[in-house]
This record gives sequence, structure tokens and C-alpha cells, in this order.
Amino acid sequence: MRDIEEKYIEEKELNKLSIDQLTHLFMDTINSQNLKLIEGIEFLVEENFESFEKNLQYVIDTNTEVRIKKRFESKIFKSKLMFSKADRLKLFAKINEIKNIGEFIANKLLLYRAVFPDKKFKLQIRSVLKSLKVISNNLSDAVKLIGSDLSKAHDICEEVKEVRRKMRKEEWQILNRLYNYDMDYLSRTFIYLKELIEDIMTLADHIKKFSESIQFLATKYLIFD
Amino acid sequence: MAAEIDLILIIVLIVMAVALAFSIGANDETLASLIGAGVLKFKIALIIGGTAIGAGMILFSGGFVSETVGKSLLGEGLESKYTNIMLLAVLISSIIWLIVGSFAGIPLSSTHSLIGSIVGVVIVYAITQGGVDLSTAFNYTKLGNVVLSWFISPISGLLITYLLFKVSAKFYLSRLKGLNQIEKSEKSFKWLLLIAVIFAEIWVGANSGEALGILLALREKGSIDPFQYITFAIFCSIFAFLGIYFAARYVIRNLASHMIETRPSEGFIVQISSAIILMIATIWALPISHSHVIVFCIIGMSIAQKKEVDYKGLGKMGLYWVITFPVAGLLSGFLYFILSSFGLS
Repeated sequence: MRDIEEKYIEEKELNKLSIDQLTHLFMDTINSQNLKLIEGIEFLVEENFESFEKNLQYVIDTNTEVRIKKRFESKIFKSKLMFSKADRLKLFAKINEIKNIGEFIANKLLLYRAVFPDKKFKLQIRSVLKSLKVISNNLSDAVKLIGSDLSKAHDICEEVKEVRRKMRKEEWQILNRLYNYDMDYLSRTFIYLKELIEDIMTLADHIKKFSESIQFLATKYLIFD
Repeated sequence: MAAEIDLILIIVLIVMAVALAFSIGANDETLASLIGAGVLKFKIALIIGGTAIGAGMILFSGGFVSETVGKSLLGEGLESKYTNIMLLAVLISSIIWLIVGSFAGIPLSSTHSLIGSIVGVVIVYAITQGGVDLSTAFNYTKLGNVVLSWFISPISGLLITYLLFKVSAKFYLSRLKGLNQIEKSEKSFKWLLLIAVIFAEIWVGANSGEALGILLALREKGSIDPFQYITFAIFCSIFAFLGIYFAARYVIRNLASHMIETRPSEGFIVQISSAIILMIATIWALPISHSHVIVFCIIGMSIAQKKEVDYKGLGKMGLYWVITFPVAGLLSGFLYFILSSFGLS
């Protein structure tokens, strides 16, 4: 189990970090917020609304990544990196996009307190969330390996894509289940749950696309004999 | 009156030789990889490149390629009959063909054009003036070697680049694991690329014997003395420098903008391969096309990296490459025929 609590880093320490280290720190920060969001949704499934709201509010309010982003931007534009500068910037923007999606989902989920229809539905959602955690953590590992081992990063991204493929099947099954409940089911709960599933899909899709771009980087930079 | 015309002709030929040296510098794109990789500031790179091409030209002005262009191609029976008017026809026709190539957007070889023009003029001379046996008009061994080198040099460039890349990939480049390691390695390659480009520029200058070939022909015919030859050779090297500094900058900047993604290690392999080919050709006094060698080196790199090769564009270039020699020959022959029909032979 990963530590999902963010650590506060002093400005002085932040200044000392290299571009690579800042990217890793940024990835860790965003990943921990992502895990917090997933944990929050799990609380919602358990109908523990207090913890659910606390977690999601945390995702919305936390802005540690803004400091890291500023430091990274000021460093990369001054750096003497040659050809990887543009790719590193793109990478950073893609990590940032995870935060944007996460924040959007959190804000949307806080609009309503839904009660899940049955145990089976809850189990299926938990399974999808578990997979989401796996791909989120794997992506974080892949990003941190870009500087030191592109080949390994490429392999991890392949795993992410594989898990995402399995997730997609489960997601369609849940949606199918949702559409086939009784007609007296509350329409706003239906919309809420439908959008919850679709938002999870969006986040997972972004992670998958991000993985593909890491694989593209590996193909671009690695030379095979 | 005849002496005055001859003097004017000599002056015209010297001016054209210097202009040709300027155009050699102006058409040189060797520095593009250096600028693309961001190794040096633009103006500094131009100064270094210009100095190297000028140095190459002056260091090898004593013979080598310029001797082949200006003297060795002709047979024993024709050396004494090679007139300044013939030289003028050679120069004008090769310039016309190069201009046509520029408008068509095809990189033509000035070397192929010049040699083709010499052959055309000599054939027309032998037919119209008489007293020259075509079987002895040329040094056929030399001419054969020159033409052969035009085919061998690009293919050798392709093979050397391919092999150099494969060897460096096997023993070094493929062992670089992460982006940080790759970036660090490429930083070192930047400086190797600088050395390779300087080395290549020297040999580009040394192999560009067209301008000095004209001066050497004038020296051989006694139109200028050895001191004047050296003086004008220095002028040529200065103008080659100026060609790079003032005219080539646009081509270089344009090409460099497409090369930002090119890795210095790749640029180094391409440049060092073309420099090796140019060096060998220069030592053997064979005038070859630098553009063709570099294009084939890039193809060699693409094949080694399993990248796509533009065979359609290559075919178009190959066609112009093949027809340059006969077209330049026909043009110069026609021009010389016109001039000689006006009594200028």
C-alpha cells in the first residue's frame, strides 16, 4: 500500500531539486491526490459520506503541485537540455492534466450523495477502482523511470494498457447493469452513477494515452542494435 | 588587339573563378547539423565553417582536385590547345545548368556539371577544328576514374554511415538506458560534431577544385604566373568564406530548423562519413559531389535506423544526377560551337 499523504517541501529544498527530481515529485504529488480521490469514491461506495467529502475536498483544495510546477517551469526554460526539453514539458503538462481531470471529477461528485443500488454493483465499482489504483501507481513508476530506464518504463506502460483493456470490459458491464435496473430508480441517482462510471473511464483513458506517449518517447529515444 | 582581348578574357575567367568559389561557399549546407544541434551561436559557426572551407581550399591549391579539373583530364595532344575561350564556354555552360537546377529545386553537382562541360567543349573542338584525335584528346584513365568515383563515392558514403551507425549502436548507443543518460551522451557528441563539421568543411574546400581548376589551367597555359596563381587562390578561399558567411546562412538556417530533432550523434556519424569520403577522393585527386555524398550518408543512416527513405525524391534526384554530365556537355559544346563560328576559338 502506497503512502497517499503528501509531504510538504520547503522552498529552499525545492530550489535544490533537478528537473528530473521535480518531475518525480510532481508525479508523486499528483498520484497521491489521485489515490485520495479513488479512496474517496470507495468511501462513497461504503456510504461513508463524511470521509468521502473530506477526501474529495482535499483533492480540490490542495495546491502543493502549483509550487512544484512553477519551480519546474523556471528551471526548464533556463536549462541547457538539448532535444528532450520539449518532451519533458509535454510530459509535465500530461501529469498536470491528471490533476485537472481529478479536480473536475471531485467537484462533480460533491454535488450529490448517491446511494448505490445493490451489493453486486458496489463490488463491480470497487473492482474498477482497484484497477484504477493499479494503473495510476504504474504510470507514476513509468514516469519516474523515463530518466533512468526507458525500456522498463515502456514495459510498465504496456501493463497499464493491458489493465485498461480489462477495466473497459468491467465498465461496460456496470453501465449495462445500471441501465437495466427497475424504472422506479431515482433519475438523478441514475445520472450521478452513470457519470461516475464515465468519469472513471475518462481518467483511465487519460492514463492510457499518457502511457502510450511514454512508449512513443521510448521508441523515439532508444536506439536498438 | 588580340592581346587585349586575351587579357580581358583572362580577367573575366579570374573573376568567374572567384565567383565560383563564392558560390561553393554559398551552396554549402554542412553547417546545418551544427546549427540544428545548437552547438554554437550562428555567426560563430559561420566564421568557423567559412575559415575551414577556405583553409581546405588553400591547403590543397597546389594540385589534387584542381589539377584534375584544370589539367589532368586532357590528353597529351590537347593540353597545349586548351584555350581561354574553351574555358569560358565550360564555365558559362556549367553555370547555366546549375541555375536551371536551382530553379527546378534540384541540388545539382557543380563538379559533374563542370567535368561534363569540359568533355563537351573538347569533343566539339576535336570535330570542328581538326588536328585532334578523340582517342588521345582525353586522359581516359583519369576521366574513367572521375566518373567511376561519382558512383562509388555516394555508395561508399551510404555504406560507411550504415556501418558506423551499426557499430556505435551495438557497442554504445543501444546501451544508453534513460533520457538523462542519452541527454548527457548527446552533449558530448555536440563537441564531436563540431570537430567532424570542421573536418568535413576542410575537405569540402579541398575537393571543390572547380574554381582553382580554372586558375590552374590559366597557370598551365602561362596566362598567370605561380605567384599570381597563389594570390588568386587566396582570393578564392576568402570568397568561399564570404559565400558561407553572407549567402549560405539562409540555406543553413532553413535546413537547421528541420534538424532540431536530429541527434548530434547522428549528425556526427553522417558528417564524419562524408568527410572520410571527401578526404579519400581529394587525396586521389578525384572531384566528387559533396551534396550527393551527404544525401547518401543520410540514406545510410535512415536504412540503419529502419526509417523510411523517400525513394521517389531520390529517383528524381538520380535522374538529374545522371543527365547532368551529358546535358552540361551538350550545352558547353553548343556554346563553344557558337563562339568558334564567330572566330573565337
